[in-house]
Amino acid sequence: MSSVTPTPSPSIGALRYGHGEIPWYRRRELIWGALAVLSIFGLLLPKPGALSTGDRLAIAVFFVLVLVWAGLYLSDVLKPEWSKTVVAFGVLGLAALLFYRYADAEWARLGHVFFNWEMMREPMQGGDTGWSILLAGLKITLQMAFFSAIFSTILGLLLAVLRSFNNPVLNVFIIAYIDFFRAMPIIVLMILIYYALPYTGITLSPIVSGVLALSLNASAYVSEIFRAGIMSVSHGQIEAARALGLNSVQTMRLVILPQAFRVVLPPLASNYVASAKDTAVCSAITILELLKSAMQVQAFYANPTALIAATGIYLVFLVILTRLAGLLETRMRTRQATAR
Amino acid sequence: MSQENADVMIEVIDLHKYFKEVHVLKGVSTQITRGEVVAVMGPSGGGKSTFLRCMNRLEEPSSGQIIVEGIDITSPYVDINKVRTEIGMVFQLFNLFPHLTAIENVKLAPMHVRKMSNKNATERGMALLEKVGLGNKANNYPDQLSGGQQQRVAIARALAMQPQIMFFDEPTSALDPEMIGEVLEVMEMMAEEGMTMVVVSHEMGFIREAADRVLMLADGLIVEEGSPQDIFNNPKQQRTQDFLGKIL
Repeated sequence: MSSVTPTPSPSIGALRYGHGEIPWYRRRELIWGALAVLSIFGLLLPKPGALSTGDRLAIAVFFVLVLVWAGLYLSDVLKPEWSKTVVAFGVLGLAALLFYRYADAEWARLGHVFFNWEMMREPMQGGDTGWSILLAGLKITLQMAFFSAIFSTILGLLLAVLRSFNNPVLNVFIIAYIDFFRAMPIIVLMILIYYALPYTGITLSPIVSGVLALSLNASAYVSEIFRAGIMSVSHGQIEAARALGLNSVQTMRLVILPQAFRVVLPPLASNYVASAKDTAVCSAITILELLKSAMQVQAFYANPTALIAATGIYLVFLVILTRLAGLLETRMRTRQATAR
Repeated sequence: MSQENADVMIEVIDLHKYFKEVHVLKGVSTQITRGEVVAVMGPSGGGKSTFLRCMNRLEEPSSGQIIVEGIDITSPYVDINKVRTEIGMVFQLFNLFPHLTAIENVKLAPMHVRKMSNKNATERGMALLEKVGLGNKANNYPDQLSGGQQQRVAIARALAMQPQIMFFDEPTSALDPEMIGEVLEVMEMMAEEGMTMVVVSHEMGFIREAADRVLMLADGLIVEEGSPQDIFNNPKQQRTQDFLGKIL
């Protein structure tokens, strides 16, 4: 057997600063030199005002070069994380700055029309301010989101469990249900329930119609999520349970579902977030939820600031919901890993 | 109907099993008497696991009769869940419930099937975990246990139902070599205590030590049966000789 003499591997330091082996994109002179050149270029950019085609081209080339430089910097694994963060935010800031400086915008008017926060605080005819109307709408939105989440979960779970028993007759109906309610636009479903059902003698209040439509729609998705969770439990688990004498209901309740819930939680949570946003559709059937409230305020002031405000509220509560779901998920995962 | 014999626990008569077109069991007949330890050996694909799994109807037999304590369990009028409580089963991949601790795994079936109180089930479960040497691991989750420990919990879980007979489906073939011994020890202990056992396994040492009878199952038929000494030392059938030649 011939012995292989290992070639002595050069140290990282030698690679970086030794024998000219530093890759070109990692050379300090290049990186910092290029940055200096770019800075001078930036200072020489034309003044805002009437811009010629050449001026616009110069600005575009400048920004593209900045992007290339940032790309080189960010793709270097040896650069520290914090400096990359600075670079990334710097590029974003620069883009905003360039837009602010050169766009032919009427910032004051934009602010007055879309971001008129003072007006939102003025009382309207009933003494309510724009904000208080929006918050009342938020309350209804949250209630509807909550109840449709509950009902869709119960319904979806039931459908998924029934489907997992693989009864061919039953499954035809379940699959038809799922296909139908997934395909049907929520707004159509809602309008049918609210405006068409009364002709059959069933009259439901707007809130009930809204929650019903949202629940029916979401239950189709929830059921698919639960089905995936149930199917993710290995067949060996079912065999072990059945071999112990557990019947199929006990097996489902004690063995399959507890394991499926863990798998299902993240997609379920994101589904709740999505269906919380779907409550906006309820504005079509006269429910004064967040969006409808915002549209009323908008109509009263003839100013769309309320829509921007409503968007902010949606953002805050949906982000909170998402984070809560994430927190729950990590907690469930660590619960299993503790006590080690 | 066959003549009542108090000592026969399971009687298998002309058992056939098809998976779609594939004829896996081609007429297996045998009897297992009380207190007997039967080892099932044979090449892979020969139908060993299927044979075992048909006897508690984890697989539905295609035809034939399986009579457990005088009751034909292939009959549609039999509550198979009742039958299964009398048959403990240990799987190749342990199949512990990962969301439950060791003791919760053990007491699940006694509490929900036998309707035992939590206190009694816990007491019995702890005693069984002690017996398999895992009293100190009662509150660990399966993923915190080694393969050998998991398999011993699985044995305790099956024993908690106080079954009349225990089935083992290749209980050590998924284990690292150093863990096989601890599982076989527990099984030998059970054999000594007089438990009726059917063991699909190729652990020659264990079979020689504990088994009363070896069934050589190949191509869906029992090609040879006899005491471990007979089978290992002077196998009569060519199939048996080939198989033993390969695993020795």
